[in-house]
Amino acid sequence: MKKVLSPMRIGWSLALVLAIVLPLVVGEYMTSILLLIAIWSIVAVSLNLLYGYTGQLSLGHSAFFGIGAYALGLIAVKLHIGFWPAFFAATAITGLFGFLVGIPALKLRGPYFVLVTLGFAAIVGVILLAWVDFTGGANGLAGMPRPNPLPLPSGGSLRFDSLLSMYYFVLFFLVAISLICHRLVHSLIGQTFIAISHDENLAEALGINTMRQKLISFTISALFSGMAGALYASYNVVISPDLAHFARGMDVLACLIVGGAGTMAGPVIGTFVMMAIPEALQIVPSLKTFINGVILLLFIVFLPAGITGGFKALFSKRDIQG
Amino acid sequence: MLLASGLTIIFGILNVPNFAQGHLYMVAAYLGFYMVMSYAVNYWLALVLATFALGILGVVVYFLVFYPIRNAPEVNLFVGAMALLMILEGGALYLFGTETKWFLIPWTRGVLSFGGLSLQVQRLIVIAGTVVVMTALWLFIKKTSLGAALEATAQHREGALLCGIKVSRISAMAFVVGTALAGFAGVLIGPAVLLMPTMGMGPLLVAFSAIIFGGLGSIAGAMLGAVLLGVIESLASGYISATYSLTFVFGIMIVTLLFRPKGLLGKEVWRP
Repeated sequence: MKKVLSPMRIGWSLALVLAIVLPLVVGEYMTSILLLIAIWSIVAVSLNLLYGYTGQLSLGHSAFFGIGAYALGLIAVKLHIGFWPAFFAATAITGLFGFLVGIPALKLRGPYFVLVTLGFAAIVGVILLAWVDFTGGANGLAGMPRPNPLPLPSGGSLRFDSLLSMYYFVLFFLVAISLICHRLVHSLIGQTFIAISHDENLAEALGINTMRQKLISFTISALFSGMAGALYASYNVVISPDLAHFARGMDVLACLIVGGAGTMAGPVIGTFVMMAIPEALQIVPSLKTFINGVILLLFIVFLPAGITGGFKALFSKRDIQG
Repeated sequence: MLLASGLTIIFGILNVPNFAQGHLYMVAAYLGFYMVMSYAVNYWLALVLATFALGILGVVVYFLVFYPIRNAPEVNLFVGAMALLMILEGGALYLFGTETKWFLIPWTRGVLSFGGLSLQVQRLIVIAGTVVVMTALWLFIKKTSLGAALEATAQHREGALLCGIKVSRISAMAFVVGTALAGFAGVLIGPAVLLMPTMGMGPLLVAFSAIIFGGLGSIAGAMLGAVLLGVIESLASGYISATYSLTFVFGIMIVTLLFRPKGLLGKEVWRP
């Protein structure tokens, strides 16, 4: 029988309560940091589905983030369409991009797949920068709408014009997407993902259509990244091609690995740690990349399973000894 | 092209796409810049010194990054290379600043022209240097026993091990040769371009495309790929659009991977 009060559930509930209460206490600036952490956590969670569970390393997720952000911006600003249709259209468009890129890219394995995703990110970066008439070039786009108020059944409406409300809005998506990924991974589809990550040839021999399963994983992963991009565009009002730079994709991967790929808490913990540490230590921005690189290197050499993986190993050791 | 060959050697032997190769080349360019501009070292001496310095850096990097994780799943190796890239780029940003630098040597502005064609002198030096080093590399691989061991390891790791080749030592050596090539290329190209901490990424991506286009694990393929890709890139930027030339390069890479994944001269697609 499943325990209702397993330590895992208590941990998750505590984290959620903390995430809800914290911004009420810490002030505007910290809340904006928490909001960014929540947005990038969504990207890390979606990359986790692809890398952590399906075993496909993509450096191209910055491109999907950028596509989501620009799709929202272009649809809402140039076509003068309200937030909600633009938001869902942007998410769908990114998913479509993921599907179309996935078809050729996923035929490849190992380094070749990584290279194609990196190449894709580079192409998207160039197009966003060079197609000035369409994307605004290096100046980017401005004037993204905040979400329109949602009417509540009890009368009145849910408004999103303050920082705090925007934070809860993003948090809602983070929790929802994490739950969806959790359900997905523990479903039959998720089990085939994990089988592919262990041994693709074996999975294929067992009758799993690996190409189709990988494509599903890639498309969903791209779609959620695009959603995060659209959320970012709406929060930040201004977007620039910098968002889609492949360095962002590498940062997300670093967060994921530090937190622990292939676990539910890993991407969120990793993003929190990687973004909170420089903030807490007030590191010079120019040193940030350097420090991130060193942290990533230490983890990949000494603790490739990441923070959550380290905890798991610690607890299982204790169990064996006890 | 030099970058592509260095990458091929590392890629072929260690099976690691060394994402940091472009950044090693950036470090070399800066190293040359400071030697020549701040300490008035002779340019040619700087070229040799930087090649050796990068070779030594290669040893350090290999034992610090790639040696400890050589038996880990291959994705860990990619991530290690990526971490290295971030460290090098972040370090360069901090030490050298974001502003672009001019690597000035007496003939930087020199232009030769004949028959309506004009060429920067430094570009000619780059071409000549590339030819010399490529020839030397070719002789090294084809005519020496060490080179033969290198090629054998690239072709079949276990087979080479069975023949009594110290594969781990050869791997370290391949890495060092690869980084030294990056050092040479960096100082060679330095005076012909502007220096900035992110200068390595473009050439790196072009070099990867060249390798895939030309054929993996084949040094001749990498050279051919680099030459053809260079021609296509300049034709595309001349006749279609300069801003999108990188897009054409990647387009070619992706099309190659789709229709002829082993490239023009490659032999096998992926190793078991």
